[in-house]
Amino acid sequence: MPTTRDQKIQAEAKRLLQEGVVDVVIGFTKGTLPYKMQPCFIQHAEDVEQLELNGLCSNNLAVYLNHRPKDERTAIVVRGCESRAVQTLVLENRHARENLYLIGVPCIGILDLQKIQQHEQDPVLAIQEEGDQVHVTLKSGEKTFQRSEILHNACLHCNHPLPVNADMIIDEAGLFEERTFDKSYLESFRSLSLKERYQEFTKEAERCIRCYACREACPMCYCEECFVNHSRPQWVDSTIDPAGQQAWHIIRAFHQTGRCVSCGACERACPMNIKMTYLTDLLNQDMFKEYDFEPGLDPALMPPFLALGEDNEKFGVGPEGSHAG
Amino acid sequence: MQAKWISKKELKKLLTAWTKHYLVYAPIDNDHELAFQMVKEPARIVVDGYSNTRYPAKSLFLPQSEVLMKYDGILHSVENTEKEKILFGIRPCDAHAMQLLEHALVDVENPDLYWKQKRESAIVISKACIAPEETCFCTAVGGSPFNTADSDVLLVEMGEDYCVYVLTEKGISLCKELPDAEDTQLQAVKKLTKKVVGRMPVLLPKQELHNALMASFETEFWKDVSQSCLGCGVCTFLCPSCFCFDIVDETVRKERVRNWDTCMFRTYSLEASGHNPRPTKVERTRQRIMHKFAYWVDLIDEIGCTGCGRCVKYCPVNIDIREIAEKALHREFEGMKK
Repeated sequence: MPTTRDQKIQAEAKRLLQEGVVDVVIGFTKGTLPYKMQPCFIQHAEDVEQLELNGLCSNNLAVYLNHRPKDERTAIVVRGCESRAVQTLVLENRHARENLYLIGVPCIGILDLQKIQQHEQDPVLAIQEEGDQVHVTLKSGEKTFQRSEILHNACLHCNHPLPVNADMIIDEAGLFEERTFDKSYLESFRSLSLKERYQEFTKEAERCIRCYACREACPMCYCEECFVNHSRPQWVDSTIDPAGQQAWHIIRAFHQTGRCVSCGACERACPMNIKMTYLTDLLNQDMFKEYDFEPGLDPALMPPFLALGEDNEKFGVGPEGSHAG
Repeated sequence: MQAKWISKKELKKLLTAWTKHYLVYAPIDNDHELAFQMVKEPARIVVDGYSNTRYPAKSLFLPQSEVLMKYDGILHSVENTEKEKILFGIRPCDAHAMQLLEHALVDVENPDLYWKQKRESAIVISKACIAPEETCFCTAVGGSPFNTADSDVLLVEMGEDYCVYVLTEKGISLCKELPDAEDTQLQAVKKLTKKVVGRMPVLLPKQELHNALMASFETEFWKDVSQSCLGCGVCTFLCPSCFCFDIVDETVRKERVRNWDTCMFRTYSLEASGHNPRPTKVERTRQRIMHKFAYWVDLIDEIGCTGCGRCVKYCPVNIDIREIAEKALHREFEGMKK
């Protein structure tokens, strides 16, 4: 059943397509499994009824801006993190803002299947969302959760659920309050000794199967050639030995400094449930301390590591540069 | 084939006894997921109530990263140190996949010795699925939850007991002490088989699907189905029948290793010249599906997917191989052979 939120999204999508404002609307539609939604690409007004948005929409749709033609006029249904990813991509010259139309939706958070499904042996058969409550049918029986109990950690720690710089906002209540940068959950990790931190990191990284779902799910990972694939010289061990796994995870995180929008799409895409957002959040915490900067929040503010000063124009970066090419 | 019978309690004892004489690999809950691991404490083996491991069993014979040679001025081959081992609790879909991999890796001019040595030293005890998951579709691709392909022994859980189908000489050597199953017991197994299989998806029309895919090659179909693909390796790395690898010289360690590779990575088909014959995810997605449902059929008249459902379950964007097959079957492609 479409919610009123869905109906409002559909109505706006329909208008945009009918009036020829955009060529495509990127959103979510029902998946083939009771606990999955699929990204979808609507090009005809008569198909807008496919659009739905709920707690099972686990991807960051901004990632598709890296896949699609740059001159395509694109509308995207964006929650807070997705809108911040779009802003960052615009600042990094990946897309011209004027080709984009952001349908903003105040976020209700993304559900974490791992928290719902405690054991592999007890699969989810159905999920029904009802306001703050989520009714789940597991193989072992029915269960009702408070939404907050089963939210993905990235959403629990989210500071900016409201879309930034959207072209319109769907008039529906989100689940969270806005707050200034708060990643206090990291304190328990920061308080560990160096050795303990290394152990924690290793415990996660050692399950990596090098499938790069984290990279591909991330809007910020768009390099033509990823450092991990570089072979002359080879920078990272190619195997699933700890050296390769750890190098991948640590360097990936560093490349996200001041760019990661903390959406958690990497963790949700990971088939091995590896925790990763704590690393990028730690780096973003430093960026906030040093530069008072939060990625994607201010469409006019250059990310510190992009702010080359006098050379901006030469390198074609920044808000002006993004319109140049 | 012999049919034997054993109680759950007796099987546990037997498993413990086996661990004294063999290396035993079995599903173990490692706090994150169920995985095939070498058994140190037999009590930790997850014998019942699971659907499958997340990481495919092929990794025991074709490890994700494997040292092929070492070198220090000259090359040294890696010695075969394989010990006789038991692979316990593998699902019929994964065993079926090993049979497919035998075609690709062993039944060829130059057999893959690394796979062969490991495979030959293993006794495979598979376990029939009496409660397949929603993502399971082995019956659609020519398998069955009770399939005996590539197994030495097949266990069927029957209440407090197991029916034990002994399929090969290797299997007989392990199970010779067990009593034969009685006729009434075997009838109950047959009844259960019928009931479970009856709830599973129907067989895909192999040739029709093959023809449809061949006709679809240059069409917009692949743009449609690949649109949401992120280009990660989840589907292929977790696939029990995907076997592509890449050989790398790890110069620091002075080792020549091979790692799993996947047609879904853009670097997979990238040539030294810079040309990439599969430049976008459209061609790459097409390759994955065509290989499974068309090229395997051309080569050995079998579908190269065994219906384990891992790619369906773990794809980050819910690309569903079943849905793609259905769509291809129901679309009219120009110039299609009927």
